[in-house]
Amino acid sequence: MVNLEIKNLTKRYRDKVVLNDISFDVKDGEFLSILGPSGCGKTTLLKILIGIEKCNEGVILKNNKNITNIDSSKRGMGIVFQNYALFPNMTVLDNVMYALNLKIKNKDKARKESLRILELVNMEEHIDKYPHELSGGQQQRVAIARTLTLNPDIILFDEPMSALDADNRLKLRKELKNIQKKFKTTMIYITHDQEEAFSLSDRVMVMNNGNIEQIDIPNVIFNHPKNEYVKNFVANHLIEKVSSIEKCTGIDL
Amino acid sequence: MKKCSKLSILIFVFLFFSILYPLILMLSKVEWSNFGLLISSNAFKESLFNSVFVSTISTIISVLVAYFLAFSLNRAYIEHKAVLKTLLTLPMLIPSISHGLGLINLFGANGIISKSFGFNIIGEVGIIIGSFLYSFPVAFLMLDDGFHYIDNKMYDVAHVLGFNKWQTFKKVTFCYLKKPILSSIFAVFTLVFTDYGVPLSVGGKFITLPVFLYKEVIGLLDFSKGTMIGLFLLIPAFISFLFDNFSRDYSSGDFEGNDYKLGNNKLRDRICTIFVYVVLIFVCIILGSFVYYAFIDNVVVNKVVSLKHFDYVFTDGISKYIFNSLLIAIAVSIVGTIISYLIAYVTCRIKKIGSKVIHLLTIVSLAIPGIVLGLSYTISFNSSFIYNTFIILILVNIIHFMASPYLMAYNALQKVNPNYEVVAKTCNIPIYKIVIDVIVPCTKKTIREMFSYFFVNSMVTISAVTFLFNTSTMPLSLMINKYEGNLMLGEAAIVSLFILLFNLIVKGIVYYINRVEHRRSENREINVSSI
Repeated sequence: MVNLEIKNLTKRYRDKVVLNDISFDVKDGEFLSILGPSGCGKTTLLKILIGIEKCNEGVILKNNKNITNIDSSKRGMGIVFQNYALFPNMTVLDNVMYALNLKIKNKDKARKESLRILELVNMEEHIDKYPHELSGGQQQRVAIARTLTLNPDIILFDEPMSALDADNRLKLRKELKNIQKKFKTTMIYITHDQEEAFSLSDRVMVMNNGNIEQIDIPNVIFNHPKNEYVKNFVANHLIEKVSSIEKCTGIDL
Repeated sequence: MKKCSKLSILIFVFLFFSILYPLILMLSKVEWSNFGLLISSNAFKESLFNSVFVSTISTIISVLVAYFLAFSLNRAYIEHKAVLKTLLTLPMLIPSISHGLGLINLFGANGIISKSFGFNIIGEVGIIIGSFLYSFPVAFLMLDDGFHYIDNKMYDVAHVLGFNKWQTFKKVTFCYLKKPILSSIFAVFTLVFTDYGVPLSVGGKFITLPVFLYKEVIGLLDFSKGTMIGLFLLIPAFISFLFDNFSRDYSSGDFEGNDYKLGNNKLRDRICTIFVYVVLIFVCIILGSFVYYAFIDNVVVNKVVSLKHFDYVFTDGISKYIFNSLLIAIAVSIVGTIISYLIAYVTCRIKKIGSKVIHLLTIVSLAIPGIVLGLSYTISFNSSFIYNTFIILILVNIIHFMASPYLMAYNALQKVNPNYEVVAKTCNIPIYKIVIDVIVPCTKKTIREMFSYFFVNSMVTISAVTFLFNTSTMPLSLMINKYEGNLMLGEAAIVSLFILLFNLIVKGIVYYINRVEHRRSENREINVSSI
């Protein structure tokens, strides 16, 4: 079953075309990474998907229902930001419970549900802590838990790891993968980091200048890049990796 | 989204009717044919010259003293810096007219000090000293802030490059302080140029432009002439406004100052300590003179402690004026804080079309001297239902003081994570709930500061309200004017002390709440890290 379908999406700011007639789909339970350099239009795409920005042309279908002009709150999507945007004046539990309280108006039930989800993301020990008392990884888990409580069909990630150091990134990637396995939620992951995209995703979508250059499983993109751009984008990354290994080890690869 | 633009329209209408409309109406009622007559008159030329003269001298003294105070408290070892800093800003908590009063107490015709030496400082000298007293804390706070934003790593760089002291000062310190110094010069000049409290009390026959305006309007009810004089008062304020807006240093706001490594220099420490204490003693003897005058029966002929002056002010109904002032100050603080916060929220976080216009309209109130704003309100609203009520006094104060709290809120809101509203939208949380539950708590310290700014300024102001009060709405600060005019210095001193007292209470409460909160978070951190 196709979960999300984007058809002929175009976005212009005055004369500048930011998204140029792009179409793709996201399958149910899929992990899709949108990969591209800064300014390629990936953040604009995210804003349009979540509904805080309007597109000039095109439609977004979710389960065959047109949601292009539907309010953000009714799209059944959650978002996790780069800086997580946790509410600093609330504890972990309150952060997770806040929206649910407003939705179901039954405090006991909201609390139970929030605790259940916090347990699933392994944060049950930290429910009384404030966000600034948590590590970056823990904050991310809380942010994910917060979106999960509302039971969204799709979670969007806006470069959630770019503020972390390399060690933590590696750890968090694993955790994110685990969470996705547990909840089977569709995830759309925006990043400029090739390694992240290739290691996490079922499929990767490479973007450049408001166009989709290629969308496929990591293996295919890696081994059969569709054009020069994708080849360079992926190859450059490889060359960087290789040369850094060479530097470290002194071995000529 | 639609609601937000409705809010913007509402705000625009409010600002239009409370700022632009009175000013436009005021200007439209001027008999411009008399303009030539006014500017060629000797009285005008003289008062303009006088104003420029005293403002220039006071500005030079104020900024120099403020610079050395800021330098002393940032670049020398002095004990109890926090206490000293607080004490140095005490003059901001009493009306400008009280500084004039304090000078008369000490150096007037029958002053405590001058009487024994047979001189007095009524006239330009008095105005300069009085203006210095009430304007230097403003410059001091600006420069002190400037010192905090110097990137102290630059001193290490200068050291490595082998700069001598003068080069270091020129290339590092002055580079960073250029903007605060210029800003403080503009701010102090504008403050002194538009103030009439000090010259009215110690000026004697030395008439400055605001006093000229005051006398024309209060004495002769010549609104047209008053307006034309008011235009001249707008000039420095407007230049200062333009300067501040075109040279705003947006980057410095995010910079976190690092500690400056103080070298050992006993001589510097001693000179700085002495300097700070000399200024402080001067401030304190002015305030002390109020206590002396308040409790001494008659400072000339009968120097015994008595409560005569207190009896008098209470039978004169001071409680009613205290009530008036507190009512006005509290209403201004609450309503003013809400309005300026709301405006800042709209211009800073919603950023729809028109928010630039609203931003500009809000801060343009900085450029309108209180006396001019008050005059425009008298002319525009004298037939409306709010005239002669507390509402107009509250409104005029809100508009008069709104710009600074607005900018405080704007800066604070800019630092709050920009994504909360998006999270709210996706989670189906109404925006007003996220503002109340998250954004307000994140900026509560700033909100308290805005509140106390509104409160203190509403308590000390005389300029904006002077044409707008009547006998039943008169605020406390204007009693000083009245008593002083009748040479009842003891009574005037008591009123000044009352204003100081209320301001200290509010400042104290804010300080206390901030400290409790700070402690609580510190305790929490200790607990968390020990787990």
